[in-house]
Amino acid sequence: MKLLITGVSHKTAPVEVRECLAFREETLPAALADLKSRDGVSEAVILSTCNRVEITVTTEDSSDPRAIVDSFLADHKAVSPGAGGPHFYRHEGRDAIHHLFRVAASLDSMVVGEPQILGQLKAAYAAARNAGAVRGWLDGVFTRAFSVAKRVRSETGIGQMAVSVSYAAVELARKIFGPLSNRTVMIVGAGKMSELAARHLRRSGASHVFVTNRTPERAVEMAELFQGTPVDYTRFTAMLPEADIVIASSAAPHYILRKDEMLRVIAARRNRPMFLIDIAVPRNIEPSVNEIDNVFLYDIDDLQEVVNANLRERMKEAEHAEALVAEEVGRMMARLKAAEVAPTIVGLQEQLEQIRAAEVEKARRKYGPFTPEQEEAVEALTRGIINKIAHGPISELRSHAGHPEGAHVIAAIRKAFHLQD
Amino acid sequence: MAEMSVIWLRVAAVLYSLGLLHAILTLVRRREHLFDVALGAFGLGSVFHFVSIIEEGIVNHRWPITNFYETLSMCAFLIAVLYLLVHWRYKVESLSVFLFPLVFVMALVATLGNPVSAWSSPVVRDTWLTVHIVLVLLGYAALLFTAVASVVYLFQERELKAKKPRKFYYRLPPLGTLDDLISKSMAVGFVLITLAVIAGSTWAFVELKTAWIQQPKIVISFFTWGVYLALVCLRITAGWRGRKAAIMTVTLVGFSAITWAAHARLGSLLLK
Repeated sequence: MKLLITGVSHKTAPVEVRECLAFREETLPAALADLKSRDGVSEAVILSTCNRVEITVTTEDSSDPRAIVDSFLADHKAVSPGAGGPHFYRHEGRDAIHHLFRVAASLDSMVVGEPQILGQLKAAYAAARNAGAVRGWLDGVFTRAFSVAKRVRSETGIGQMAVSVSYAAVELARKIFGPLSNRTVMIVGAGKMSELAARHLRRSGASHVFVTNRTPERAVEMAELFQGTPVDYTRFTAMLPEADIVIASSAAPHYILRKDEMLRVIAARRNRPMFLIDIAVPRNIEPSVNEIDNVFLYDIDDLQEVVNANLRERMKEAEHAEALVAEEVGRMMARLKAAEVAPTIVGLQEQLEQIRAAEVEKARRKYGPFTPEQEEAVEALTRGIINKIAHGPISELRSHAGHPEGAHVIAAIRKAFHLQD
Repeated sequence: MAEMSVIWLRVAAVLYSLGLLHAILTLVRRREHLFDVALGAFGLGSVFHFVSIIEEGIVNHRWPITNFYETLSMCAFLIAVLYLLVHWRYKVESLSVFLFPLVFVMALVATLGNPVSAWSSPVVRDTWLTVHIVLVLLGYAALLFTAVASVVYLFQERELKAKKPRKFYYRLPPLGTLDDLISKSMAVGFVLITLAVIAGSTWAFVELKTAWIQQPKIVISFFTWGVYLALVCLRITAGWRGRKAAIMTVTLVGFSAITWAAHARLGSLLLK
């Protein structure tokens, strides 16, 4: 059994190359069927996303998987890894499993730790199963890859930190308030960015949204979007004590919220914390507002700084994840090795047992019946002999499992003991 | 104090205790649930309190402000009346959180002026003292928990203010969660310490007769309880969080340690 992964990703190929190689969802079953029907191919999976195209095949030992995939790509995409040259990567055997585990765990993604790739990989696997292109061996490898990805996600913080500005705002809100249910959001200035942030907050449980805007129509429009309440722009500061989170993105050329005003607001709130997000340029909220106790003011640069820190933190977590993946690959290889020689070992043991049982029966007919003591002695003697005989070949099989010459050893032993294929 | 006067004062203290319950519920739920009931009980309690003071004056044929217990009772009564007047005029619910428990404890202490007969049995005496000690220790545990949570809150608040996430930011729980924990542990601690103060002072009263109130450790205990009450009150009314709350909680831990040190010989009393 040979395993080969051939592919291009955002790391090796520009989008012009990736788009040429991509398989559309509707063409996938036909492509899988074609690949599977090629001589020597046992199983096949095709993963096609905007950031990577990967073809995974397993073939019989006698076939050359590279040549098969080359000709397949030449037929379908008018390009072959030979001609595609530096854009393509190929991983075989252990390397291929390592690569697959890393991809599933989102360690090879453009934004390390992003969760979509696992879903895409699962979809590719499901498509291959439906097309009948996976049976048994790759099943085990892919299922393992999914659980490795799950383990990485739960045991490292790789996917926990926000890596976009609007999501970072939500994450900060959670760091301030804990769960966001029953939190009220006020949007000052109905722009695209504030809409996005409010959408994230609403989805995270924020219960109510107030919208205020210099043009009242726009405020009404946006309030409808979130089932919120429009507020008169001239009177919005009176409503501020109600708001836990304020998103300011108005086009005002000066500060619309000053420190003295906010001191009054926070007193009216009896010091309950407030989170102010100022994504306007020029800024809407006087920066010294952040000096007030229980008020947390973040402008667009502050949010970007949080994103950068999160990315650095993700990279640290990725190191743990890499170690985890390496450990899992080791485990998988040990399991595969055992699975490779297991049928031969079982066959050998059965064969010897049959011979033993037949010989004992023959002796029984000739010299029997035996007394229970004699019966026991014959059993022990014959079992001892076959165990001694089997010991050599079995330990030879185990030590050669997974090695290149392993296949020869297996073949030789099967032949020597007349084991059926 | 005259016997009937003490009985009326006890009735008043029981009614005032609803005010304490109101304060605790406000701290935990952050909303005034029991205020109307507590205010009614408080008003009724002050009527009984008034009766108690008049009775004391009539029986003794003098103004009932001649000893510590009488003056304490009078003082508590005046606070109660003053609060009722101010509330009638200005509707100041928030003050109740501080004043209701205070008036309750003052009235309670004032009832403990007449020596009662000695312990019915040594078992009751020892059990009573053990209950007091266990309550105090549980209360201290809750208080320490509050202090630790307050300090953690302070760290996380600093991180969020500094806007440059470092290790603490990622590892510490959200401020809202900590705040909730602080409220709850503070309320539990306050209940336990208040019960412990009641148990301890009544024990000391039976044990030491009228001299109990002169004991320095009892004075320190009441002072520490007063600080705790002030902390609870500031948290409810002014929403003290972060730095101020952390400093105050840690100060309270300090006072509690002093109180503990003053009581360190209490264990030996059990062996007496």
